[in-house]
Amino acid sequence: MAEYKLLLEHSHEPEFRTLHGYLARGGYAALNRAKGMERQAIIDEVKTSGLRGRGGAGFPTWIKWNGIEKEKTRPHYLICNADEGEPGTFKDKQLMETTPFLVIEGMTIAALATQADAGYIYIRGEFVDAAKSLRAAIDEAYAHGYLGQNILGTGLNFDLYIHMGAGSYECGEESALMSSLMGERGMPRLKFPHAPLPTVAGVWDQPTIINNVETYAAAVPILAKGGEWYVTLGANTKNSRGTKIFSVSAHVNKPGNYEIEFGTPLMELLDLAGGMKGGALKACVPGGSSVPMLNAEDCQNAILAYEELWETGSMVGSGGCMFLNEHTCIVSYTWRTAQFYAMESCGKCTPCREGTKWMLQILERILRGNGQPGDMDLLMEITKQIDGRSFCGLGDAAAWPVAGAIKKFPEEFEYFIKNGRSMVDTPEARAMAPRWAQRAFSAV
Amino acid sequence: MAAAVQTETVAITINDIELHVPKGELIVESVKRLGLEIPIFCYHPRMKPVGMCRMCLVEVGFKQPDGSVRKMPKPQAGCTLPASEGMVVYTDTEMVHRDRKGVLEFLLINHPLDCPICDRGGECPLQNNTLAYGPSTSRFLEVKRHLPKAYPLSEYVTLDLERCIQCGRCVRFTEEISGDSQLAFRFRGASMQPSTFQLTDFESRFSGNVIEICPVGALTSSKYRFRARPWDLETRPGLCTLTPCGTNVFYDYRSGRLVRINGRTNEDVNEEWTSDTTKFGHDALYNNPNRIQVPHVREGEAFRAVEWSEAYAAVLGACEGKRTAVLAGTMLSNEDYYAWQALARTALATNHLDLRWQKTLLPASQMLKARTGLPGVQYGIADLENALAILVFGTNLAADQPMSYLRTRKAWFRNGARVVVAHHEASEAESFAHVVLRYRPGTAAELAAGLANLLAPELADATRIATPEWTEAQTGVPADRLREAAEALRGTEFAAITTHGLFDEANGVTAYQTLALLTSHAGGKFNGLVNHANEQGGREMGFAPDLGPGGEAVTAGMNTAEILQAAAKGEIDTLILVGCDPIRDFPDTALATQALENVANLVLVDSAQTEACAYASAILPMALPAERDGTYTSSERRVQRMERILKAPGESKAPWQIAMELGLRAGSSAPYFHARDVMDAIAEQVPAYAGARYQDIPETGVRLANPEGLTRSNDAVVQALQSLLGGR
Repeated sequence: MAEYKLLLEHSHEPEFRTLHGYLARGGYAALNRAKGMERQAIIDEVKTSGLRGRGGAGFPTWIKWNGIEKEKTRPHYLICNADEGEPGTFKDKQLMETTPFLVIEGMTIAALATQADAGYIYIRGEFVDAAKSLRAAIDEAYAHGYLGQNILGTGLNFDLYIHMGAGSYECGEESALMSSLMGERGMPRLKFPHAPLPTVAGVWDQPTIINNVETYAAAVPILAKGGEWYVTLGANTKNSRGTKIFSVSAHVNKPGNYEIEFGTPLMELLDLAGGMKGGALKACVPGGSSVPMLNAEDCQNAILAYEELWETGSMVGSGGCMFLNEHTCIVSYTWRTAQFYAMESCGKCTPCREGTKWMLQILERILRGNGQPGDMDLLMEITKQIDGRSFCGLGDAAAWPVAGAIKKFPEEFEYFIKNGRSMVDTPEARAMAPRWAQRAFSAV
Repeated sequence: MAAAVQTETVAITINDIELHVPKGELIVESVKRLGLEIPIFCYHPRMKPVGMCRMCLVEVGFKQPDGSVRKMPKPQAGCTLPASEGMVVYTDTEMVHRDRKGVLEFLLINHPLDCPICDRGGECPLQNNTLAYGPSTSRFLEVKRHLPKAYPLSEYVTLDLERCIQCGRCVRFTEEISGDSQLAFRFRGASMQPSTFQLTDFESRFSGNVIEICPVGALTSSKYRFRARPWDLETRPGLCTLTPCGTNVFYDYRSGRLVRINGRTNEDVNEEWTSDTTKFGHDALYNNPNRIQVPHVREGEAFRAVEWSEAYAAVLGACEGKRTAVLAGTMLSNEDYYAWQALARTALATNHLDLRWQKTLLPASQMLKARTGLPGVQYGIADLENALAILVFGTNLAADQPMSYLRTRKAWFRNGARVVVAHHEASEAESFAHVVLRYRPGTAAELAAGLANLLAPELADATRIATPEWTEAQTGVPADRLREAAEALRGTEFAAITTHGLFDEANGVTAYQTLALLTSHAGGKFNGLVNHANEQGGREMGFAPDLGPGGEAVTAGMNTAEILQAAAKGEIDTLILVGCDPIRDFPDTALATQALENVANLVLVDSAQTEACAYASAILPMALPAERDGTYTSSERRVQRMERILKAPGESKAPWQIAMELGLRAGSSAPYFHARDVMDAIAEQVPAYAGARYQDIPETGVRLANPEGLTRSNDAVVQALQSLLGGR
């Protein structure tokens, strides 16, 4: 299998960012088809396609769309989660920058199906280019009747707004995103069964659909070519249909976004990205920094699909695939990941707020050469005290990479704790370690 | 009605015991029905649950059709989980215990173990939960978080950031209950801390409550800091005698000395909250270094300590056949007022007695009840939270009636009540007002007429000139805004709240009466509240120049202002001041000073030295409210009893006792052996208090019923209104 460019087909063509160029390449065919369909038929089409949320959790998209009240009694909102903050993931950035109309059309289709009045694209604060590209596209869509009042004569009134985040990873969590959108502190809100689902009471307590950028974009080919067609992609997997964009980074020759059919082996993705750079494959984090890592052996058999990857011991997540070469000190890598989550914990719940900081402190102590015999067990204990106990998924996301690294590479941690030095003693490893931990590596 | 409303119940199982609970009840509350407890930090029953601290994690499952239980993979927070049919909860499994231990370990890694010097030590939820559920040791080898300690957030509240466990109770209190939003979290992750904006002053009328709801010693009272350990304290239930709300409190004292005031739960009055006046105001009163210990009489320039009998003889001698007047403060008990008015009207043979200190003193007989046939208080404090619309008129409610303010805000916050705020200056209530009517100072009556014109058809003729446009010209309130306000109130049984502070504004009396009349005609309920501690009780006891106990008509005497004017002219020989100091309490200080200078005999009954002492001929030491038994009537007409808590210093006596003993010597009084006997006498003479005998008063107090058979029209008010409008 090779790349299957469904969403990224025209990504390299600057023309595609304009309405004219978009229409010339078959743009808005999906909406034109959808406008002739019953609302339920649109949702059923998405159901047929087997589309699952591309933001990380893989929740069936049609269930969300179907959960909105059918007889409209109050405003309905649509949110596009474009707060792409997962380390290693940069697919939404490219989609928004190069294929803004796909996102807009996808959201318009969703609006049509769920009778939404307004949509909000919550963009990560650093993605200025993406916001500019979307802004230009939205303006053009308004000017030509693709947004605003009575879109394409469907009677649908749909306004689309861009909201820039302020730099918090936590705001990519859907309920925290809604808090932030409403002007509150970016902390997660109660979720089902503690509170109604967003489709019942979401942003401003109104029925709300919240999907990832890629999910909305994927709705366009589904509606254009039909769910029956889409379901043939990835047909050899258990329950993963369609294509998925993986952001490949770290020690590869050609880092970048690669769109593949579900069911593609992980090693093929590595080949697409030009193979390993600077050394042999040691480990892979296939779905963004929060998923457990795979060692080289696992990678050989790993299949890129939701259930298949779960069985291998990791997750598709958001598709931020990082390949690490043999010069990677796993302890340093784990410290860096832990630092990210400690800094990004919102502080709302105890396990995440205190646990992420504590793990970071222990890892830092190990890197400084002051590891204690019980540190590995303690780290594992702490991850168990966080995992599943935190208010939202950030705690889990902070615990998995630490637990995963210790499970897959226990000897590296043992060595570091025992000897106060890294097991991977190469100049490359030293270059990747923080400056204050240089003593753990031999001088060149 | 209430009984007919059946809440839906669901069957749930807690630790294998089946029970039925209202649908949606939080599990943390449901387990209490079984006498179980789920440990908590962030959860507070009066605030929205947030599930932050994770202390309340429990295992949850659901009964399947085949009878088996499918457990949820993750433990759930009991404080946010609503009960639903078939829910199965386990609070006592190994996993639950491990999770509690885990959360406590997390909380303690950065919490300083300075319990031995912490104010909270001994009554600290973190200590208690750690003892019950926590680990015995810590595995934390790193350096603890270091943050500012003892940071003064305000004059009253000191913040220790190291002790904070980020439960958010204080933040939520200022957002949900007091509404001043003074506190918020700043920074994130492990650096998150509650703070005022840039650590500026914590400006709130209710800041003291955050000290009580803080589950650790992070927010402490600047006044109480390091003054006692909880186990050294004795605690007795009492009342606040500084605000007119009748706030229920605990007096905590050590070695007979008051060290702090805490809120006490009374669902009908203050729920569990206190205003800062209540919480921090009593200290200066009871711990005044200038308390008077024994009676004194003047000898030349100096005072001589004397026996009570000598003091009484001196007082009676000064009153015998002289022109006498009695003025009282607002903090006396009902028994005190009753005994003193009886003494004044018999032995002292005077009707010159008053307890009011406002600039404008409406004759009591012309008070609302007599003139418009309306009672003063129709909505109790607790009823306010169910009102659909509330009109706050001419008062800064948060300052004047803190507990009514909290309920008004709750009505808005919980039930979306529409609140109309009309005042000539900015006030806290405007922050959640549906409509704000900011009128020019002195035009309250015109505004009331404008509202009457829109809301009360029966008054339309009398107020025909007061169209919205005319009102706009007079008061500066835009006509549309006035119409909007009328729309918000129309068709609801709205509560109109005002206070006697309105009398101090120009035409305030007319404004007050017009408001009462329009409320009655528009189908609302009127709350005209007194602004001082037990002023309501004093009036009802007949401590007024023109009304006896229970509103019995008497020959009118002089009111406060008239007494002082007469005294200044030398027309009063003997002035008795009971718990008051005109120089401090009366708005016109010059007149008050002149009055005291020109009175031949000034008898002072007070607890501590005041400026008036300089002019006194005799000083009798008085016990403060918490130092004796007594009943107090709050502004909503709730009679509550406070038993003696503290020992009165020296030979101080209760004012009623002083009045009785003077009366006995003059041959006019019956002997009372206890405040209860005075109340028995009151109950016989004042019909409204028939149910307020000591054995009848429930713990939460008894709210007096409004008189029956009220008339709605009153020509006098309409005439006053017309002359006001016509005069323009």
